Amino acid sequence: MLLGFTGYGQQAEKAVSGTFAHMRFEQFVSQLEAQTNYRFYFDSKAVDSLFVTLQVQNQPVRAVLEQALQNTAFHFAIDDENRVFVSSAGIINPALPGDFFQPKAATATVVQAEEPVAAGPTGRSRLVSASEYKVYEVGAGGEAGSKATLAGHIRDQKTGEPVIGASIYSESPNIGASTDQFGYYSLTLPVGRYDLKVRGVGIKNTKRQVVLRGNGKLEIEVEEDVVQLKEVVVEAEKDKNVSGMQMGLEKLDIKTMRQVPTAFGETDILRVVMTLPGVKTVGEGSTGLNVRGGATDQNLILFNDATIYNPSHLFGFFSAFNPDILQGVELYKSAIPAKYGGRLSSVLDITTREGNKKKLAGSGGIGPLTSRLTLEGPLLKDRSSFIISGRASYSDWLLHQLSDKNFKQSAASFYDVTAHVSHEINEKNSVYATGYYSTDRFRLASDTTYHYTNQNASLKWRHNFNNQLYGVLTGTISHYDYDITSDSNEKTASQLKYAITQSNLRADFSYFPNSRHTIDFGGSSQLYNIAPGSFLPRGDASLVKPDVLAPEKALESALYASDRFDITPRFSLSVGLRYSLFQALGPRDVYQYTPGESRTEASLTDTVRYAAGKVLATYHGPEYRVSMRYSLNDRSSVKASYTRTRQYIHQLTNTASVSPADIWKLSDANIRPQVGDQVSVGYYRNFKNNTIEASVETYYKSLRDFVDYKSGATLVLNHHIETDIINAQGQAYGTEFFVKKLTGKLNGWVSYTYSRSLVQVNAGTPADMINGGRYYPSNFDKPHDFTLVGNYRFSHRFSTSLNLNYSTGRPITLPLAKYYVGNSLRVFYSDRNAYRVPDYYRMDLALNIEGGHKVKKLAHSSWTVGVYNLTGRRNPYSIYFKSVNGQIKGYQLSIFGEPIPTVTYNFKF
Amino acid sequence: MLPRFSSHLRVVYWCVGLLCLAGCTDPYLPDIIKTPPSYLVVDGSINPQGISSIKLSRTYAIASATAPPAETKATAYIEDDAGTRLLLVEGSSKGTYASAALTLNPARKYRLHLNTLAGKEYVSDFVPVKITPPIDALTWRAAPDGVNIYVNAHDDTKSTQYYRWETEETWEITPPYQPTHEYVKPLLIYIRTPFPRLCWGFERPSSVFISKTTALTQDVVADFRVKALASNSERLYTRYSILARQHALTKEEYAYWELLRKNTESIGTLFDPQPAQLTGNVHCVSNPAEPVLGFVGAHSTTEKRLFIARAELPNARDLLSGYEQCLPPDTVRLPPKGVFPPPKPAEVLEAMFGSPAYLPITIEQDNSGQYVLAKPRDCVDCRTRGSAVKPSFW
Repeated sequence: MLLGFTGYGQQAEKAVSGTFAHMRFEQFVSQLEAQTNYRFYFDSKAVDSLFVTLQVQNQPVRAVLEQALQNTAFHFAIDDENRVFVSSAGIINPALPGDFFQPKAATATVVQAEEPVAAGPTGRSRLVSASEYKVYEVGAGGEAGSKATLAGHIRDQKTGEPVIGASIYSESPNIGASTDQFGYYSLTLPVGRYDLKVRGVGIKNTKRQVVLRGNGKLEIEVEEDVVQLKEVVVEAEKDKNVSGMQMGLEKLDIKTMRQVPTAFGETDILRVVMTLPGVKTVGEGSTGLNVRGGATDQNLILFNDATIYNPSHLFGFFSAFNPDILQGVELYKSAIPAKYGGRLSSVLDITTREGNKKKLAGSGGIGPLTSRLTLEGPLLKDRSSFIISGRASYSDWLLHQLSDKNFKQSAASFYDVTAHVSHEINEKNSVYATGYYSTDRFRLASDTTYHYTNQNASLKWRHNFNNQLYGVLTGTISHYDYDITSDSNEKTASQLKYAITQSNLRADFSYFPNSRHTIDFGGSSQLYNIAPGSFLPRGDASLVKPDVLAPEKALESALYASDRFDITPRFSLSVGLRYSLFQALGPRDVYQYTPGESRTEASLTDTVRYAAGKVLATYHGPEYRVSMRYSLNDRSSVKASYTRTRQYIHQLTNTASVSPADIWKLSDANIRPQVGDQVSVGYYRNFKNNTIEASVETYYKSLRDFVDYKSGATLVLNHHIETDIINAQGQAYGTEFFVKKLTGKLNGWVSYTYSRSLVQVNAGTPADMINGGRYYPSNFDKPHDFTLVGNYRFSHRFSTSLNLNYSTGRPITLPLAKYYVGNSLRVFYSDRNAYRVPDYYRMDLALNIEGGHKVKKLAHSSWTVGVYNLTGRRNPYSIYFKSVNGQIKGYQLSIFGEPIPTVTYNFKF
Repeated sequence: MLPRFSSHLRVVYWCVGLLCLAGCTDPYLPDIIKTPPSYLVVDGSINPQGISSIKLSRTYAIASATAPPAETKATAYIEDDAGTRLLLVEGSSKGTYASAALTLNPARKYRLHLNTLAGKEYVSDFVPVKITPPIDALTWRAAPDGVNIYVNAHDDTKSTQYYRWETEETWEITPPYQPTHEYVKPLLIYIRTPFPRLCWGFERPSSVFISKTTALTQDVVADFRVKALASNSERLYTRYSILARQHALTKEEYAYWELLRKNTESIGTLFDPQPAQLTGNVHCVSNPAEPVLGFVGAHSTTEKRLFIARAELPNARDLLSGYEQCLPPDTVRLPPKGVFPPPKPAEVLEAMFGSPAYLPITIEQDNSGQYVLAKPRDCVDCRTRGSAVKPSFW
């Protein structure tokens, strides 16, 4: 090391005092030199954009410099002659041969001095920077002019976790790849020497010098970027917006999500997703997502590849995912990869972190309603790790503190636990296992207890056949059930139950034949088992008559293949086909109805019994996935896509928002699958040296045969649900404007969407039609939607976040007037969804305070202080009408009708 | 039996809202509800075998507590598809228009034709004449959970198929007290006009009872339940009667009532099923876009009445009188005990009986002096629960 150091004990050392406000570094140094006997050495060109803002009182030079250079790319060293060397990372010593200063480094003082450089928050570790200067030779004896594939993982140097979505590329020729969910990349290049650059969100820029002679591996370790420096993120985002193939894809990592203020002070993945363009929800207490005019059941929510059927806690006030364990989330809303299927509108792919592979670590948080704790660490150093995370609410305890008798009788509790283990068997094989359990139980000022549970498990085996081909075999089980128990009256004590279990087996392969093609193919099969409802007595005294619906069973299978083809560097095409097959299986009784009549109990003509395993209905069809990208220049591109999706499972909810007691129903002989087609076109452009991304996407979507309900439909315990369901057609279209800046002191995004979502029920008898068979706005048709998520960082310790939301009010069917017919009071309703509730507007503010970044501190902590709904606007959550003595009165209920302050404490050790 | 999910859901939002001291309910009164549309409502049907009676009114504000505004001085007539007109005349009851006793030709189609005072013209769709078969039986059976009343009907010609029933319930009410005194300020005097000893409760349920036989090989309605009474219902306490009125419907009119039935069950909250707009078969000729409410069919009606006496019931002892909370009577002391100085009796009487909501029953005497037995009006005057006029059929 360059530095030797004797400053601490020296008598001659003079303290520094003063206030430096945005002072040029050179000026700052000259003041320091004036106050002390230190002399500074630095490259004046390198520091010309470095400014210092600091207030110090009688502090040693070392401490002053530490503060001044903290959070910059510079660091310093002081030798025993009081010479201070200031330099930016990379240029200084680590690049020098290790033994250059060896004679001096043998003294004890060197060891002391080395530490802040090696582990300081802004210093670069020797390992990583050294590897930047090393020349890696990969492969053996490839002919000049031939091509070779380089593959490997990009991992976090500190925790060993894979870095997802990082790009690795050569600038000349301009060839690149990005890492997948395992941190794996595969890059095919002509043999030769390259400077490969590595960029990614949340990691520091790095590069590797490679002499590629043949196929080979290159494992890359990168440093986490604790405080996102400007230069890093600029580069990191460069590729994505304009030159990336995907359109309609939103990626969020957990760091971005943490900045968005929430009602209960806890990072909420689904709430952040709702701020993205094209994503809406009916009410703020609901986690039901409506993506580009699709219904809430048309989103495939995957948690480490296992389907989640109820992603919320406590009726939707919290999402069911603990933020501490999350890696990030990807939302596909237009060009859905062929690998995914089974839902019409979107895929929300949530992934967990792998856990620290190097040392045991933990984190947690304490909020007003919930607390959480996470532990992670290596099982076998560098090869396997675990992470386990739990979260629980104490709202139960809070309820009991309230004086109101009703609240004392109430109970509301939930918790969730996630565990993930990853293990690298050898270079070619890795296994991953995830378990997830979340449960809710509440009783509300009454005798009725609601209880629901999500149980998921997934096991994944990844095998690298060679550098160009790898495969992943995944098995998952998803289980969701709820029960509603009523115990107060022993004569009517009863329990209503519902359960769905889905077992899924899939194989996915990725093949990189050369640098211009990426081929994905695979197949999947899933078995559904549904217990659609049972109503049973509880206790011997109960007089309740048992009522059990026959179970439902079905098999859904699919094969797919897709090829991403870079035709020219400017023009890429991705063509995919997925073919899905659905078979509803017996044992089951299938009802048949008089053709041409509205299906009712009265038009039921026959019952056909199918034995166990017999196929009672088969549906199948192709799903096309095509997308293309054409780069106009370095800064802008045009993309287009066409996607067809098919959905064989339907959520039955006759209410405008999602509730935990909703039922998932499979397609069968009487209920057809839903089919959706979407065409979208977008223009993407980056500004200001790629620091600002902008995009405009417009789409048109048509939906066929999704379920809508007849007026007054009964969905619970209905033995012939098809009599209350009608097949609806829909169309949705819109334009989304999105501007994002994820770097700098001021960052965040602004989005504006104009969109419509329309439904038509124009089949069957006039009694079945809605609004006379005309198109009408869906429940979540909110044409104008504006969102601003902003974050301003004052310093690396303080930042504020502002969240602004505006949207057109949700459509509503209003009782317009009343009248008497047959001597009875009747209500005259408007057309369905003819009116709108008042517009929605909300502003939230949060202040994040990070604890000091001292390395030796036992635990890092942070505080989040926030106010939700700062303006206290009473946004209507629900509008309802009550009849009191023949008078019908309307009320609007605002659940967050006042500013709500929150404080959350987070820690990490 | 199922838990009422929607109401509980509303409660949880209250709970969570209150946890953050933020949940709040405000009145919701958008302009469209403040100034509701005033559409014509046509209530009634063409009776091919007797007097047709049509009631014309208007839709009005949902928050209003008054009777619906009647549409008076309109010109109304029944018209057949050959153009023959039969006039309806507005009677003493405002907005009710009645024909003479008619016999219509079942081979023709009929419609209602209206001209309002404001100069607008309305017609209903032409409908075929349906002759309603008689009600075969109106029966009751006692089950463990109560008394069920069923209607039975059939049509050998298989031309009815779609049925609708209306019911009217009447029951006897016997109040537990017969006051001997009344309060006429400042005194309690012997009652001048005694309170009625019997009253008759009356209700016309708004439930829509419809049934179709299209899926059956015969046009038979067997045991369609039109009423379920709890086994201890106070309506059965002494004597109960129900009238069922049967209407034969066309398929279209049946669909109309089916929707009306579903709409009546809930009032559009976020968690209730979606209601549907419903109009009928009447149209405004002058302005086709104007909604008109009501369905005018052309059918006769048949009816049957059933009585159930206390003595016929298996569990008569369980029956509630409806006056359980009225026993025993309250005691009003003159002067009241333990108050010093004792107030004057006139002041006590005025304080107790000055309002008509609380009535004296009789004056009694015991060792501590005179006292008045008294009870709220609802326990004494059965006219709060029914009419004192004996129905003609009783």
